[in-house]
Parts: sequence; structure tokens; C-alpha cells
Amino acid sequence: MSFDMIIELEDLARHYEMGGVTVLALDGVDLKIGRGEYLSIVGPSGSGKTTLFNMIGGLDRPTRGRIHIDGVDISQLDAYELAWLRCRKIGYIFQTFNLIQVLTAVENVALPTVFAGVPRDEGLAKAEKLLTSVGLGERLHHRPLELSAGQQQRVAIARAMANDPAIILADEPTGNLDLNTGMEIIDLLHGLNKTRGMTLIAATHDLKMIKASDRIVWLRDGRIEKIERG
Amino acid sequence: MESSPPYSKAEADRTGDAAWETSLSPIGLIIKAMSGSRAEERRVSFTLSDAFGLGYGYIKHRMDRAAINIASIALAISFLSTLMLTDAFSRAYARAGGARLSVETYQYWLVFVALAVSVVGITNAMLIAVHERYREIGTMKCLGALDRHVLLLFLVESFIEGITGGIAGFFVGLGAALLSAGFTTGFDIVLRVPATELLGLFAGSITLSLFLSVAATLYPAYRAARLTPVEALRYEL
Repeated sequence: MSFDMIIELEDLARHYEMGGVTVLALDGVDLKIGRGEYLSIVGPSGSGKTTLFNMIGGLDRPTRGRIHIDGVDISQLDAYELAWLRCRKIGYIFQTFNLIQVLTAVENVALPTVFAGVPRDEGLAKAEKLLTSVGLGERLHHRPLELSAGQQQRVAIARAMANDPAIILADEPTGNLDLNTGMEIIDLLHGLNKTRGMTLIAATHDLKMIKASDRIVWLRDGRIEKIERG
Repeated sequence: MESSPPYSKAEADRTGDAAWETSLSPIGLIIKAMSGSRAEERRVSFTLSDAFGLGYGYIKHRMDRAAINIASIALAISFLSTLMLTDAFSRAYARAGGARLSVETYQYWLVFVALAVSVVGITNAMLIAVHERYREIGTMKCLGALDRHVLLLFLVESFIEGITGGIAGFFVGLGAALLSAGFTTGFDIVLRVPATELLGLFAGSITLSLFLSVAATLYPAYRAARLTPVEALRYEL
């Protein structure tokens, strides 16, 4: 296992039973992702993008194969350790933002620090700093419904960074945004990847996002079709 | 880190995510939820006060749903406390030499029905709340929430609703009992009931209200807690 690989997937497979038929959502994926890399995962719908996202994020367990994150096989972890991994190592960004509607922007960003056991004031101070860094310093106490789609996604990005994760997983982060807002979000993510050295893995259809990435993995029918340099 | 998780690797493989947490019974989960979390290496934390903060936010900003639950429990409790207080008043009146008024047994049966209806109503409202929040539950699990943290959050909400409903129900019941008995016995009858008896009824109303509210929420909260992040996130409203 080489030192600079943060994620290693070996023969990763995930099969579902659906109405008596076995669906091969992923069927033997081998992939190594380097620390600080910006990787795009591309493929038609049903190609296994989201399943791969869930696997790397520790949200689902593989039917076969291994997932190593920082040298740890995450299929061996118990519920506590998985929760810890999700909390501290991985930041998630969703197409639909998934902010907690009853919390303000700053409370949303501070939520992961609550689970990480950071004292409340410290977490809120950090959340303020992060929101300011994504350009929302004036919107700290707004609730998600009082923010535009682009602003909500910025809050979600700040939240994903709250515990300084090593990996940011983004599932179609620009899917619900217009062209310009999408560009801004891409620039923001790309900037974070370069300046903070966070590994960025994005499942996407967005050509602009694909162009900005270091490597592009093409998935088809649960297998890697090809890998291109960006 | 948990020193020795009480489940085998094979079992974890079979049952999938959060295997041994979800294999606990609801009662087991509650005991775990109440035991709090110690700040240790590789351990996620979510204290009771965190849960109260978030639960309060949910009640405040989704007041309609909470109001239905509170009203439902308050109505049932007020019915009960009306009868209990009327009874207490009539005993005090009899002690002072007045005629004995009586509360019929069948009225207590009606109270029982009212309490049962309110439990069913709260369970229903909470199940809907769980469905509304599927995606938020999934998101919280992505941010590090364990099953028991989700359970704790729902139970804390029902705890707040139960206390509020119990207090409101008692005072509505007190008003109703005074209205029904006061014209015969005089409205100062409330002062002639021993204070300990009134306090006892007050405490009893709140305890019962809390118990019923939490009991009604157990099943919905358990369902919410058991959701895997993938199921919860996939759910479209």
C-alpha cells in the first residue's frame, strides 16, 4: 500500500435484490485515489455513481471487495467507528443541499462539530469563520429557506468542511443550480481542493466540473469503463 | 472506541450498517441514549443538552405539528384532571358539611378512552414527522449521528411536548372543575382542598402526560433511528 493513496478500492461490488432480480450496481471496481486529488466520477444514470459515492462515504457496505481509507478497511468498522469516520474524515455535499431547515446557517455549519464533541462556542466560532470564507459572512443567522440555492450550497460546503475532513464527497453538487451559480460553486470547491489539499471526489454530469478535475473515472454498468487525465 | 462490541463480524456483514446498534430493542436503545456519551478518542458525541437545543428548534419552527401533539395530550389530561379535581372539591365540600357530589365510574372510563385516543393521535403525528424528516435524518447520520442520537432527538421533542401538554391540561382541568363545581360549593373551594393534594394531582398529571407522550413516540422514533443513511437520503418527498 503506497503512502500517498488516501482511498483504495479493491474488487468492490454491491449487489441489490430487487423484485427477485439481482442488480449489479457495482461489479468489481478497482481504483486508487491520491491524497489531494480532484476526481470526477462520470457515467449515465444507473451506472453506479451514487452507489460508489455511498461506498466511499461509509454509508453502505459492499457485497464483495474492500474499501481502504487511510489504510483502514472500513467494512471492518463497527457503528461507532463508522459514525466517527463520517464525522471526522469525510465531508458530504449533496445535490439537494440537505441543510437542516430549522437551524440557521451558522448552526448548520456547526452541527458536525457538535457530533465531534467540540465545545459549542468553539464550534460556532469556527462555523462563522467558514461561512465568511465561502462569502456568507453577512448571512450567518439566516435559515435555509431565506437563502438562494447557490447560498444554500455554500452553507453545505462550509458544513462539509466543519471538521477539517481529508475527503470531500460531492454528489452532483451543481445539479440544482443555474449555470453561473454552478460555476461559482465549482470554483469554490476547486479552490478548497487546491488551497487546503482536501481530496475532492465528485459524481457529476457537469462538463465544467469534469474539465476542472485531475482525473475522470467513467463508470458504465457498475464497472470502470475508462480513466482519463483532466 | 467501544472495547468489545457485542456482535460478531459475521452478524455485522449480514445485517449491514450500524449492525449492533439496530439489533438492540427499543428499550436497549433508550438506555443507551440516556447513558450519554463520553468524550473519548474516535467517539462521536451528542449530549442531552445538544438534543434539547435541537429538539427545541424543531418544536419552535414546526409549531403546527407540535401544537397538535400538545393540544391532543392537554385535552386528555384536562379531562382527567377535571374529574380528579371535581372529586377533590366535592370531598372538601363534604368535609365542610355540604352535600356529597359524586363522580361516576363511567366517567373514568371515558377518561381512559380519551387518553388512548391522544396516544394514537401523537403516534400518528410523530410518524408523519419522521417521514417529513427522512432526508434530514440521513444527513445527520452523514454528519456523525448514531441511531441513538436520532432516537434521543425525537424522545426529547416528545418530552418537551409532554410537559407542556401536562401543565396546560392541568390548568384547563382546574378551570373546568371550578366551573362545574364552583356554583354549588363556592369558588373558594379550591382553597379548602389540602395543598398537598392539589400538588399531588398536578405532579400526577404531568407525569402521566410525559409518560403517554414518550410512549406514543417510541415506535416512530425507533423507526427513525433504524433508518440507514442510504435509505433515508434516497427518500424523495
